[in-house]
Amino acid sequence: MALVKLQDVRKTYRLGDQEFHALKGVSLQIEEGDFLAIIGPSGSGKSTLMHLLGCLDVPSAGQMEICGYDLSRASSDTLAGVRNRELGFVFQAFNLLPKLDVVRNIELPLIYSGISRKERRARAIEVANAVGLGDRLANRPTQLSGGQCQRVAIGRALVNNPRILFADEPTGNLDSTTGEMILEMFRQLNRDGRTVVLVTHDPEVAAISKRVIEIRDGLICREYAP
Amino acid sequence: MNFLICLETGLREIVAHKFRSVLSMLGIVLGVSSLIATMALTAGIEKGTRAFMEQVGGLEFVKIQNKDVSDELFEFWNLSPGRTIVDAQAILASVPGIAHASPEMRLGARVANMTHGQRLAVVGVWPGNFHVNRHELAAGRFITPLDLDRATHVAVIGDEVARQFWPHLSKEEILGKVLTINQSPFEVVGIFIRYEREQDKRMRKIRAEQAKKHAGSERRRWDPFRGKNLSVLIPLPTMFYEFKSGLFPNDSVESVRIEELALQVKDLSRFREILDQVRRTLTMTHRGVDDFELETREEWFDRMEQSISATRLSGGLIAVISLVVGAIGIANIMLASISERVREIGIRLAVGAKGRDIFFQILIESVSVAFLGGLVGIVAGTVLIQVLIVIAPSENPPLMTLNSMLISVVFSILAGILSGLYPALRASKLDPIEALRYE
Repeated sequence: MALVKLQDVRKTYRLGDQEFHALKGVSLQIEEGDFLAIIGPSGSGKSTLMHLLGCLDVPSAGQMEICGYDLSRASSDTLAGVRNRELGFVFQAFNLLPKLDVVRNIELPLIYSGISRKERRARAIEVANAVGLGDRLANRPTQLSGGQCQRVAIGRALVNNPRILFADEPTGNLDSTTGEMILEMFRQLNRDGRTVVLVTHDPEVAAISKRVIEIRDGLICREYAP
Repeated sequence: MNFLICLETGLREIVAHKFRSVLSMLGIVLGVSSLIATMALTAGIEKGTRAFMEQVGGLEFVKIQNKDVSDELFEFWNLSPGRTIVDAQAILASVPGIAHASPEMRLGARVANMTHGQRLAVVGVWPGNFHVNRHELAAGRFITPLDLDRATHVAVIGDEVARQFWPHLSKEEILGKVLTINQSPFEVVGIFIRYEREQDKRMRKIRAEQAKKHAGSERRRWDPFRGKNLSVLIPLPTMFYEFKSGLFPNDSVESVRIEELALQVKDLSRFREILDQVRRTLTMTHRGVDDFELETREEWFDRMEQSISATRLSGGLIAVISLVVGAIGIANIMLASISERVREIGIRLAVGAKGRDIFFQILIESVSVAFLGGLVGIVAGTVLIQVLIVIAPSENPPLMTLNSMLISVVFSILAGILSGLYPALRASKLDPIEALRYE
């Protein structure tokens, strides 16, 4: 069964009087266990597509179904619920909360699923161990290296056991060795059965995936397996 | 996300930004402490005034005064016997709304014992004087109806008299001692407590403490109870037979004019009605001559009440203004912190926080800040009051009431809610994509 079904999805932004068509009819399916990379130059619409797939926004037209929910015209609360239960995000800039330590950063999504404090902590510590930060639990993001920060972010994305993991330029702020290690983590997660969607402008990064979609001017112009 | 988690997140946010929280708390702290202090000050003034009003006889106290008759009635003036104890007897017999009547016959006399003597106002009274003038005995008894019947030679004296005549004896020891009033011996059977206003009691204590360090001269101040403390009371018939009879052949206890006539009204809700009855009775005993008037304390007390509520209002106003300023301070800092935290809110939204989660988080933050500020303010207000007491001992001690604390807490929570609503609303309406992109 397809986790993600996009049918002729369009997204239009209004900037004053002008209309800007970010997506001009994208159809796409992502299966369970897929490892998809979305590439394209900036301004191509890949970020918009990423926002739609990540349930941060709804399409202006077309059908969108993610993890069995029809989200074509969903309310922001419904989207928040899907993001919370089914999706995990890893960002280029890590996007950790600087005032919270590793455990509290990782447990953040669980807070909004109403899980008890005790279980939250237990699961966050378990995930922190899994991403290799077992000895850094009480550290704050400012006390960690870039690679460690990104691992915290991956831990946070995984803590609610999502069906899809999104990564937006996850290696953009890292040096090549560390980036390599982070990418290896994604590959391993996918081998363990997790569906991963990777957004990048770097074809080399995209090369680790099973399936690459190239976006240009709001349309899918090419799809290939690296 | 339930309320407890909101609370936890909000509180953690406060702890994480200590300096910011303290800054935003400051306004509320100042507001609440001034609220607490002004409320305590006005409560103290109010209590002092009320206690004073109570001690001087309360609203129930009515005095009957002489009045010049009008020119038209001048010819008839000497038809009236004037104020006599017949008035008191008639009022007690015919006006059931009067609890006690107290006629007084006064005499400036030389009062002496073996060692000391001085001129004092001696007053002949009825037992009702005890209630009308709100006396309290420290030792012994008051004048009884039997004393009236037998015209006994007994005296009840005030605290100051006891001190002056027997400075070294306790009040119990003074009972049974003899005072001469114009050479006539009287046995002391009762001594009153020392009458003083709350503020005087406090000043006396403060002075007593200071006296230990350096003996200062006691400043003479106006004391409304000086007369009461210097009283020498004897039975009214004794006063007449001993000192006032024989001046004119036809004088009797009933016909001699009295110097004072005071009444105590039983039921304040029927005050006017009872006063009308008193007036009718007196018109009868005065043979229709309008040579008396009733003096009540209503106007006087009304003025006191007005000044109390005026003080309370102005104090409350100042405190409310400072609370509003405090609330604006919180709102301002919350708004500033929200624009600083747009990215954080974006992250929370991205991992699945709903708009209302953010709304309640911000609201609870501001309410908690305000609530904590309120608590600190109560403590600061209490300290402020203690400081005020030390640096400026006023006549009425400030009085902390539970009410003022409850009001402060309620007000600070309200201020927190009001100041948090708009920032919370703005934060909850943020678009996650915009918020994440925000630098």
